[in-house]
Amino acid sequence: MENVLLQHPENEIQETAELSESTSESPADSVFHKFFLEVSSITMFTLRFFKEVLKPPYEFKELMNQSFQIGYKSLPLVAITGFIIGLVLTIQSRPTLAKFGAVSWLPGMVAVSLVREIGPVICALIFAGKVGSGIGAELASMNVTEQIDAMQVSGTNPFKYLVVTRVLSSTLMLPLLAVFADAVGLLGSFVGVNLNGHVSAFLFSSQIFQSLDFRDLFPAFIKTFFFGFAIGLVGSYKGYYSNKGTEGVGKAANSAVVFASLMVFIIDMIAVQMTSLFQN
Amino acid sequence: MKKNTSNRIRLGIFVSLGIVLFILGVYFIGERQQLFRSTFRLSCVFKDVAGLQSGGNVRFSGITVGTVDNISIVSDTTVKVEILIDEGTRKFIKKDAVASIGSEGLMGNKILILNPGTGGKMEIENNDIVKAVQPVNMDDILVSLKTTIDNTSHVTNNLSKITGSIQSGKGTIGRLLMDSALAQNFDSAIVNLKKGSRELRNLMDSSFTQNFDSTFINLKEGSAGIKAVMDKAKKSWLLWGF
Repeated sequence: MENVLLQHPENEIQETAELSESTSESPADSVFHKFFLEVSSITMFTLRFFKEVLKPPYEFKELMNQSFQIGYKSLPLVAITGFIIGLVLTIQSRPTLAKFGAVSWLPGMVAVSLVREIGPVICALIFAGKVGSGIGAELASMNVTEQIDAMQVSGTNPFKYLVVTRVLSSTLMLPLLAVFADAVGLLGSFVGVNLNGHVSAFLFSSQIFQSLDFRDLFPAFIKTFFFGFAIGLVGSYKGYYSNKGTEGVGKAANSAVVFASLMVFIIDMIAVQMTSLFQN
Repeated sequence: MKKNTSNRIRLGIFVSLGIVLFILGVYFIGERQQLFRSTFRLSCVFKDVAGLQSGGNVRFSGITVGTVDNISIVSDTTVKVEILIDEGTRKFIKKDAVASIGSEGLMGNKILILNPGTGGKMEIENNDIVKAVQPVNMDDILVSLKTTIDNTSHVTNNLSKITGSIQSGKGTIGRLLMDSALAQNFDSAIVNLKKGSRELRNLMDSSFTQNFDSTFINLKEGSAGIKAVMDKAKKSWLLWGF
């Protein structure tokens, strides 16, 4: 069972290609085979994660280390992005609201946009770019230099040590980063509001909390766990099953970012649909 | 090892700050929804809540004092609105307070407005039912506005016809203002009047008046002479018996 789980999907794909050649299948069939093999491989990888995450021993030390690397070290990037997004959103929204004489609604509108959607999604995309590619490249280079095989030979469970810790850290750290992104984004919005007018910090915060609701905060917060999980899982999967050779490292990092970003949008779409379903 | 400890401390600070920020957000949002305050419940019954939603604000004298907790349909013409009000404002809300539905600005969300009752009444109690004033429906306003616009359109149409008639010289005012012949006649009448008045003035000048005066004097003297002749004739024997 273990061998089946650790089997390299590329090898399976290669085998499928050979099989399709021998059975004279069209290239379209081969693409379908590749796609379904990839889906089955990701599913097995995810199931293995859930199996390993519950099974002792737990790698707390590595989890702490990964949380520091993934969470704490991403904070400056996420904070700067959040601040700029808050500032820009405020400045760009002002003329439209001014047309309706509703400039006083600016803090409330920006707060709802930031907390509900823009904060978590932008934070997740930045996180996917930094952490997803980082995990992908790191695990791929370990795979290329056969460190993963060496760990397995030495009796350490590489999946538990490398994958579980990274996926768990990214799942737990992204919500915290999103909270920071929202807070700093609102600070940016406060600066933006005060560039063309004067609103006191007290009035600004009062308007923000006046317009926000638990229905804005909790669904947005909960979906960041899914974003973090998807980014960690995709990064780990792409790195863990990368091609051998230096080319494989770049490819793993690149595909981890692309696939993780796509997953963020797909999860966001599902989350929005689910939220509106429960709210109505 | 030292670096590892320092990293752990940084991570601890990061996680703690994140959790504190989240809790603060939850607290302030909950505070607005009166979750962490002592509240009491009131209800009011409307025919139509005009788009009021659960979670909407309740204002008393322009201050947000509570939120709409629940809106439920009781019958085909009755909607019950339950509201949660901050306990601190209970002493200001009297038994005869009236609830109405308004909106935040022209396009804003619907809110429930509590108008304070008269000072003499007792203060309101938990689970009391507040008298409700039915909201003015926007559709009714639009229907009324449409009637006004139709009337205005009718008036402007009539005005347009009148001004058109005047411009084309129809009717008394039109002829007066637009008929050039009438204007010429008017001009000549004015000229004649002017001429007549001048001649009258000439008539009234000094030589005329002197002649007029002498004519009157002559007439007076003549009538006096006639009177004297008549007196003498009366005395004459020839006219006795007349």
